[in-house]
Amino acid sequence: MTRLIAVRVLMSVVSLLLVSAFVFALIQVSPVDPVVLALGDGAPPEKVAAMRHALGLDQPVIVQFVTWLGGVLQGDFGASTFTNRPVVDEIVEKFPVTLSLLIGATVIATSAGLTLGFLAGLQPDSMVDRVVTSVVAIALAIPSFWLALILAAIFAVQLGWLPVAGYVSFRESPSLWAYSLVLPCIAVSTHAIAVIARHARGVVVDVMNSPFIEAIRARGTPRSLIIHRYVLKNVLVPLLPVIGVQLAIIIAVSTVMEKVFVLPGLGSLMVNSVVSSDYPMLKGAIVVVASIIILINLLVDIGLGLLDPRVRPQ
Amino acid sequence: MSVTNESTPPLTPPSAQRRENRVRSQMWRQRATVIAFAGIAALVVIAILAPWIVPYDPNFSSIMERHQGISLRHLMGTDGLGRDTFSRILYGARTAVWTSFESVTLALLVGVPCGLLVGYLGGWVDRIAMRATDILQSVPSLIFAFVLIAVLGRGTAQTALAVAIVFSVILMRITRALTLRERELLYVDAARVAGLSRTHILFREILPNVVGPLIVEAAIMLGTAILIITMLTFLGLGLDASIVDWGGMLDETRQYQAVYPYAVLPPGLAIIFAVLMFNFAGDGLRDALAGKQRSTASRKQLRAARRADRVAASPAKAPKSSDLVTVEGLKIEFPGEDEAVLEILSNVSFSIRRGETLGLVGESGSGKSMTALALLGLVPKPGRVTAGSIRFGGRDLTAIPEADMNHIRGSEVSLIFQDSIGGFSPVHTIGQQLAEPLRIHHGLSEADAMKRVIELLDLVGVPNAANRVKDYPHQFSGGMAQRASIAMALSCGPKVLVADEPTTALDVTIQAQVLDLLGDLQKRFNMSVLLITHDLGVVAETCDRVLVMYAGEILEEGDVFQILTQPRHPYTRALLEATPRNDIRMERLPTIRGAMPAAWEWPVGCRFAPRCAYALPACTAAPVAFVNGVRCIRADEISRVGI
Repeated sequence: MTRLIAVRVLMSVVSLLLVSAFVFALIQVSPVDPVVLALGDGAPPEKVAAMRHALGLDQPVIVQFVTWLGGVLQGDFGASTFTNRPVVDEIVEKFPVTLSLLIGATVIATSAGLTLGFLAGLQPDSMVDRVVTSVVAIALAIPSFWLALILAAIFAVQLGWLPVAGYVSFRESPSLWAYSLVLPCIAVSTHAIAVIARHARGVVVDVMNSPFIEAIRARGTPRSLIIHRYVLKNVLVPLLPVIGVQLAIIIAVSTVMEKVFVLPGLGSLMVNSVVSSDYPMLKGAIVVVASIIILINLLVDIGLGLLDPRVRPQ
Repeated sequence: MSVTNESTPPLTPPSAQRRENRVRSQMWRQRATVIAFAGIAALVVIAILAPWIVPYDPNFSSIMERHQGISLRHLMGTDGLGRDTFSRILYGARTAVWTSFESVTLALLVGVPCGLLVGYLGGWVDRIAMRATDILQSVPSLIFAFVLIAVLGRGTAQTALAVAIVFSVILMRITRALTLRERELLYVDAARVAGLSRTHILFREILPNVVGPLIVEAAIMLGTAILIITMLTFLGLGLDASIVDWGGMLDETRQYQAVYPYAVLPPGLAIIFAVLMFNFAGDGLRDALAGKQRSTASRKQLRAARRADRVAASPAKAPKSSDLVTVEGLKIEFPGEDEAVLEILSNVSFSIRRGETLGLVGESGSGKSMTALALLGLVPKPGRVTAGSIRFGGRDLTAIPEADMNHIRGSEVSLIFQDSIGGFSPVHTIGQQLAEPLRIHHGLSEADAMKRVIELLDLVGVPNAANRVKDYPHQFSGGMAQRASIAMALSCGPKVLVADEPTTALDVTIQAQVLDLLGDLQKRFNMSVLLITHDLGVVAETCDRVLVMYAGEILEEGDVFQILTQPRHPYTRALLEATPRNDIRMERLPTIRGAMPAAWEWPVGCRFAPRCAYALPACTAAPVAFVNGVRCIRADEISRVGI
């Protein structure tokens, strides 16, 4: 198990390096020149050259990358070309919002998705199964950002139960913090709930029909024990990677939620830096988001190793 | 003399009503796909004709007519600038169809050839390409699109290009996986040997064979493209503001949320409609390609099966004191297609005596395993026992509550399977699983149960048992796993052990060891064994008495010597003749001609008659009764023929 974790951690670090290099390389080939953009089209060439030099853009690409990477490792992502603030300050400021949204959505998506999947899968072709399967099919077709608009219109604008927009930090007021996250978390996790429920239903049906469940029943093990001791663990093995992918998608879609509910998170930071061609900011935000996703994948891999002896290196 | 299969009427002739039901259900299956294609066609037509069919210029704004409700003048009302929503929705369809087709086409043109080449070349090219795309795939599509738009700049063409790049990576991986599979097939080798060029092999030989799944993928991608592009536009990163687009429309509704909340409905519903149509079309195409038929029984069928009356068991004979288990008139039915009921077991009666080994032989599909499962009350759903009884310890096992049955399973009646490794949960240790019956039935503590498990594993000859209990099933060989499952089956001292083909999956030498072990343990524990097998050699070695089963019926019953030397049923005889023997040399081993009919085509008369060399017209006329241990009207003549 230690070996598995060591190997996975190493692979994660390599992935992160490669993602960083890839983003860096892509931005290098961009036809948009951030210096010209910052100084305006008619800027005198000597001013442009001075700024280039100041930003290190006159160095060879490899040197630029290594310099940037060295900074990143020390927590220095450079300064925003738009606001001139250090990128890392902006990220630290926005990170809690994204993390709150991600944790809330993870809890909702996995608990609701697994519950629905088990409800349907344990009694296939029953009334419950039909209802769950139909609801899931509809939920899969609803775009999250539209659902967010509808939820906001109903529960915030019309009924006034929840705030329309804005974020209150946990330190300021835990209850307002929770209030401000309810709608975005539900809206961002609905699609994930549907995907997890659909997969879970299928896996539960397969596991319940597998020969070992028949063999376990033949030992006289009661159904409740079969389900919570054997089915649950066997279902989680194929489902963990599905959940991991859904969490990554939740992070992506939360950028839209941040716009609908005016939440100052990493998503809006990314969108704004794309709009303003603020490359240091974009690189920083992407590296942080990629790190979260790579960490999720690492946890999924370690979880799989804990659950399933077959993936542990012998 | 023989009777062919065609002349025997099927058990349940299909009625006109049933045929009609089947056609209707097939129509329904296709209806969703038909609707999806009609919807897509409508979208495309609207997209092309939008400039001519819209009632208003989508950008014509009239401040006097802001936020108008639905009216004949404005079918979907107007927006905050007084523009006609219906016209904007139609123009939005034009944008959605155009941009999604554009990006998916581009993605196909790039992704598919790359995937073909990478998959075909394999080796290091493949490895590098896969590692590179792994990295891209670790970032969600939407965020990947952000980076691409940051690089390419914002704008309509750039957005379509960004989405195309994201999709081409996905398509490349799919094509590569499909190509890897095709590459191993003979036609590719043949093309290579014939000296065809690589381009020819890739595009003329392999591509036509992988194009089906790719079309499915492309159909679903068209829907996803609409979703991603509207999302990007909603975020302000997508299409130009001058273009009428559903995502942009949704963005505009946000400022009027409080005054006019209904504005979010038309663009949202339009997106859902378009995405659903492409998804349904993709699913329908996939099913059509796979020739998929839904196999689950319909609700109607299940209800019909439940309604079927529970036929009362025939009056039970007083069980003999030597009989431990008495099965009487057991019938098991499954709901079949179109409300038919399939009889899997028909009127099966036998008894298992104390301390004996009773063999149950027959071809696969004859109902042997179903009989075994019925003894433990484990008939798989939706099948059920519809008649008969299984008497054991003064109770009828077909009629006792599930909780009581659980006390009998694994404790008084145990079962071992053919696939012993598959009989264990792969993610729990062998020790944990073996200890379970002891903990449930005998209430042992975890430590005591584990101690007993180690003793039992020693007993069945698993070396190094104390360490092996910590192993997982995949770390056991087939023979060792079968020993472990025997140890578990014996752990609670059962009175009856049902062994369903316990040695079929094992090597010949291991087979003999496991059979010897079973024989030893049977004497030691004084159990009765019901040994299910299709191997008459195993029967000769281990059984006291034998039941011969065919097509859900018992055809012959007798002691092992009589069955093997003087069979009275032509089927038993044919089975014996098809068994290799080393005392007689022959050119070819005789086989039984034909195949056992499936449950829905069992003949009315003797079920073996269509394959029987001794069949008479009387054999097919009416069911044959089970008299004096045999179900054959010519039993006496046949027993005289000898082997």
